[in-house]
Amino acid sequence: MHSPVEQFTIKSLMQLELFGYDVSFSNSALFMMLAVIVSTLFLTFAMRGRNMVPGRMQGAAEMMYEFISDMVSGTVGSEGRPYFPFIFTLFVFLLFGNMLGLIPYSYTFTSQIVVTFVLALFIFIGVTLIAIFKHGTHFLTFFVPPGAPKVLIPFLIIIEVVSYFVRPVSLSVRLFANMLAGHTMLKVFAGLAVMISGAGGVYAPGAILPFLALVGLTGLEVLVAALQAYVFTILTCMYLNDAIHLH
Amino acid sequence: MKPSGQTEPRQNKPYLNGLLAGSIVMTVSHVAFSHVALAASEKSEGSGGLPQLDFSTWPTQIFWLGVSFLLAYLLMWRLVVPRIGSVLEERHNRIEDDLRRARQASDDAEQARMAFEAMLASARNDASETTRKATESIRKKMDRKMETANANMAKKMASAEADIATARQAALKDVSDIAASSAIDVVSQLTGLKVNKTDAKKQVKQAEKAIA
Repeated sequence: MHSPVEQFTIKSLMQLELFGYDVSFSNSALFMMLAVIVSTLFLTFAMRGRNMVPGRMQGAAEMMYEFISDMVSGTVGSEGRPYFPFIFTLFVFLLFGNMLGLIPYSYTFTSQIVVTFVLALFIFIGVTLIAIFKHGTHFLTFFVPPGAPKVLIPFLIIIEVVSYFVRPVSLSVRLFANMLAGHTMLKVFAGLAVMISGAGGVYAPGAILPFLALVGLTGLEVLVAALQAYVFTILTCMYLNDAIHLH
Repeated sequence: MKPSGQTEPRQNKPYLNGLLAGSIVMTVSHVAFSHVALAASEKSEGSGGLPQLDFSTWPTQIFWLGVSFLLAYLLMWRLVVPRIGSVLEERHNRIEDDLRRARQASDDAEQARMAFEAMLASARNDASETTRKATESIRKKMDRKMETANANMAKKMASAEADIATARQAALKDVSDIAASSAIDVVSQLTGLKVNKTDAKKQVKQAEKAIA
C-alpha cells in the first residue's frame, strides 16, 4: 500500500554541495522560493496602481498589510514598529507556503519539523536577545511571576523557565503537526476513494463518501493554512511583546 | 482518470462558493494523484517511516529556508512594505487633509453666519434708530408748526378781539348818541319840547348806569 506520508519526501531536483553539506535544490526549496516569488509578485502587482480607492487586488494586499500592522501595534504597541517588516515577512511566507502546499502535486515545506523548528528557534533566540539588550539582568525577573507567594517562588521559577524554553518547540510543533495531519488525512481519504472505486462492481459508487469527506477536508485545510500562519505570527508578536515589556 | 482543470476558478462568486469549487477541483486532483501513485507504488518498496525524520535532508532544508526567508525579508522590507505603507499613508494624509479642509470650511461658514447675524442685528438696530429719529424729527417739526400756527392764531385772535373791542366801543358810543338823539326826537314828538342835546346825553348816561 502506498504510504500517505510519502508526499512529504524531499526529492532533490538539483545536486548542490556547500562546505561538505548536501544543500541540493529540492522540491521543498522550490516551493520556498515559489512562496517568496508568488507573494512578492502578488503584493507588488496588486499595488501597481497606487490607487486612492483600492480595487480588489490592492484591497487584498492592503488588508494583509493592515492586518499585520494592527496585530503588531495591538500586541506589542508602538515599540513593535521596527519589527513590522519581519513579522509581515513571516506571515506572508507562511501563508503563501501553506496555501501553495494545498495545490495538488505541490509541496508543503511547513510540514517539515526542521523548517518550522528553525524558524521558531530563530524567533526564540531573537526575542531573547532583544529582551537581554533591552533589560540586561533585569530580564531575569521575567521568570518570577509578580505577586506570587514567597514559598512558591522556586517552583514557579522552574515552571516559568521550562515554559519559556518550550516555546520554540510548541510554536514549531503546532504548525508542523497541523500541516502533517491535514495533508496526511487528505491523502488517506483520497487513497480510500481510489481503493473503493478500484474494487469495482457494487462497491464502486461507495467511493462518493470519502470523496465528499475530502471536499469538506480540503475546505477545512484552506482555513487551517490561513489560521496556522496567523497563529504562528501572533504568537511571535506575543513573545516579542514579552521581550520588550517583560510582564 | 486524468486530472483536468487544476486551476482554481475565478472567485467572482461569493468566496464560500469559490472555496467549495476549489475544494472539489483539488479533491479530484488528489484522487487522481493517489491513483497514479498507487499504481507506481505497487512496483516500489514500502516506505520507511516519516520523511520528516530523515536527518540527511535537514541541511538542505535549513539552507534553503535561510536563503528564501532572507530573500523574502529583503523583498518585503525594501519593496513591498514601503510600497503599501506609502499608499496607505498617502490615503491617510489625504483623508486627514480633506477632513481638515472640511472643518475649515465649516468654521468659515459658521463665521460667515455669525458675521451675517451681526450685520442683520446692526441693520435692524440702524433701522429702528432711523425710524425713531425720523419719528422724533417729524414730531418736532409738527410741534414747531403747531406752535407757530397756535401763535399766529392767538395773534390773529388777539387782533380780532381788539378790533371787536374797538368796534364795540365805537358802537357803544354811537348807541348813547343814537339814544340821546332818539330821546330828543321822542320827547319832541310827544311833548313838543325842545330838549337840550347835552341834557339828553346826561340822562342817557344816567340810564345806562342804571342798566349797568
